[in-house]
Amino acid sequence: MIEANSLTKRYGARAAVQDVSFSCAPGTVTGFLGPNGAGKSTTLKMLCGLAHPTSGSSTLLGRPFSQIPNPGRHIGVLIDASAAHSGRRGRETLALSAQLLGVSDSRVDEMLELVGLDKSAAAKRVGQYSLGMRQRLGIAHALLGAPELLILDEPANGLDPEGMRWMRGLLRDFAGRGGTVLLSSHLLHEVEAIADRLIIIADGKIAAEGTRDELVGDKAMTRVRSADDHALRSALRGFAIDVSVADDGALLAEATTEQVGDVALSAGVALRELGSSRAGGLERLFFELTQGADADAPSSDPGTSISAMEASSTLQETVR
Amino acid sequence: MSALASHTIPTEERRPAFSRLVTVELRKMVDTRSGFWLPIGVAAITLITVIISALVHHGHEATLAHLFRNSLMPGSFLLPILGILLVCGEWTQRTTLATFTLVPDRGRVLSAKMAASLVFSVGAFVVCLACSAVFAELVGNAPGGAGGIGIAVLGQGLLFLMTAMLIGVAFGAAILVSAPGIVLYLLLPTIWNALAGAIHSLESVGNWLALGNTWSDLPQGNLSGTQWAQVGTTLALWLVLPMAIGWYRFRTRDVN
Repeated sequence: MIEANSLTKRYGARAAVQDVSFSCAPGTVTGFLGPNGAGKSTTLKMLCGLAHPTSGSSTLLGRPFSQIPNPGRHIGVLIDASAAHSGRRGRETLALSAQLLGVSDSRVDEMLELVGLDKSAAAKRVGQYSLGMRQRLGIAHALLGAPELLILDEPANGLDPEGMRWMRGLLRDFAGRGGTVLLSSHLLHEVEAIADRLIIIADGKIAAEGTRDELVGDKAMTRVRSADDHALRSALRGFAIDVSVADDGALLAEATTEQVGDVALSAGVALRELGSSRAGGLERLFFELTQGADADAPSSDPGTSISAMEASSTLQETVR
Repeated sequence: MSALASHTIPTEERRPAFSRLVTVELRKMVDTRSGFWLPIGVAAITLITVIISALVHHGHEATLAHLFRNSLMPGSFLLPILGILLVCGEWTQRTTLATFTLVPDRGRVLSAKMAASLVFSVGAFVVCLACSAVFAELVGNAPGGAGGIGIAVLGQGLLFLMTAMLIGVAFGAAILVSAPGIVLYLLLPTIWNALAGAIHSLESVGNWLALGNTWSDLPQGNLSGTQWAQVGTTLALWLVLPMAIGWYRFRTRDVN
C-alpha cells in the first residue's frame, strides 16, 4: 500500500515534481510512466526517504518510510541497478544486506537462483556485470527480505526480451499473491502489458492516471499501413479524422476500421495492414501527454501542451 | 508460493541492532577488492617502517617504545584516508541507495561507521604493537635490551590512531566525495601549518590549532595540562567541527 500526498520537490525555482498524489493498492501493479526527466525517479526516491520533499508527504504500509523499523523486511526497492560497488562480488552484495536485514544466508542463494544468476556469475565482481545482470542482481536484492511491496525504477532497462518476459511473470505472480508493485518506465510497451493501472507523469505533474481502458476510453483507434501513407493521411484528414504516426511508422487513425477502409477506397490507396488498436490509442495518449515535457515552451499545463502539439503537427501537415 | 504478509507493520518490530550495523560496516570495509588490499597495504607499510627503524644505527636505538612510536606514523597518515573512503565510498559507488533504504535513520549509519572506525583503529594498534615487539626483540641492539613501554605511551598511541581515523570519517561525512575529501584532508592542515609558520601573529595559535604540533605528539607520552588542552582545541577544529558539518550533510543530503 502506497499513499503519496501532494509530493513536491523544488530545486530553486524549478519544480522537478509538483503536487503528485496517488495511491497503489495491494494486489496491483502500477506503472509509473513518463519521459526521462519527468520526475519519476525523484518521486520514487521521495517515497523511500532518499530525497526530501519540499512539501507533501507519503506513507508506505501506513507509515512514512523513515518510521519503519526494518524496512527491508516489507519494502523491496530497486532505484538504480548500476548503484552497486563495482569491486564487490555479486553474492557478497546480497549477503551484506541479508546480514543487515537479519535474513538467513540461504535466502541469498535462493534469490540468486530465482533471478537466474548462477554460481559463477554470483562469484564475479559487480564491475564485470552487464546491465542485464545488474538488473537481475538488483531485483534479487529487492526481494531479499520477502517484502510485500516493491518499488522498482526502470527495472526493464537492459533486460533482453526473454528477461522482460521473465520479469513480467515474476511481478504478476507477486501481485497475484497480494503484493503491491510500483514500477516506472519511460517506455510504454514495457509497462502496458504488466500494469493494472498507469500513472502518466509529465513535467513533474501527473498528466493522467487510471486503468488502460479508463485512459483510452472507448474511442476507436485504427492502425493502418498502405501503399501510399502520405496520400492516405491527407485523405483521412480530409474527413476530419485525426492521424498520428506510431513508433514503427504505421499510421494511427482516430476512427473505426470500417471508416478507414472506406476512406482508403475513396482515395484509391491500397491497404497493406488494417486493424483496430487499443494499444495505439494508449501510445497516442502517452505521446500527447508527454510532449509538453520536451518542449521549450514554459507551458506545463497538459491541456495547453496537447493543443500546442496538435497545432504544430497541423502546421507540418500544411507545409507538406 | 504462499500469500504475502498482511500489509501492516507489526508494532513490536525492532530495528536492526546497532552492533549488527557496526559488524556490517566492518564487513564493508574489507569485502571489496580495494577494501581488501588497503588494510594489508597499511600493515605492510607499518611493518617496513618498523624494520627500517630497527635497523638504522645498527639497532642501537631500537627500543620497544621507539619502534612503537615510529610504527604509528604510517597509520596516522593512512587511517584518515581509510576513514574518508569508509564514508565517501558509499556516496561515490552509490551504495547509499541500498544502505539508506535498509536503514533509513542515517544518523545510525554514520554512528556505526564511527564505531567501526574505532574497532579498526584498535586492530591497527595491535598490528603496530606486535611488529614493534617482535623487531625490538629480534633485530634491536639497544643497550639494555628492548626495554618496556609505559601505559601512557600505549594509551595515547591508541588515542592517536583512533582520532586519526575519526578525523577521516568527519572529513568524509562533511565532503561526501572521495577525491576532494582526501585532497582537502591533505591540503587544509598543510596550508594551515604553512600560514601559521609564515605569519608571526599566528605562531602562538599554531600549537593550539595545528594538527602537526601537539596532536602528533600524543604518542610521546607525558603531556602537560597545557598540551592536553592544545590537543583538545586542535581536535575541536579538525575533528568536532567537520563531524558536526558531516552529521548534518550525511543525514540531510538527497541521494542521487
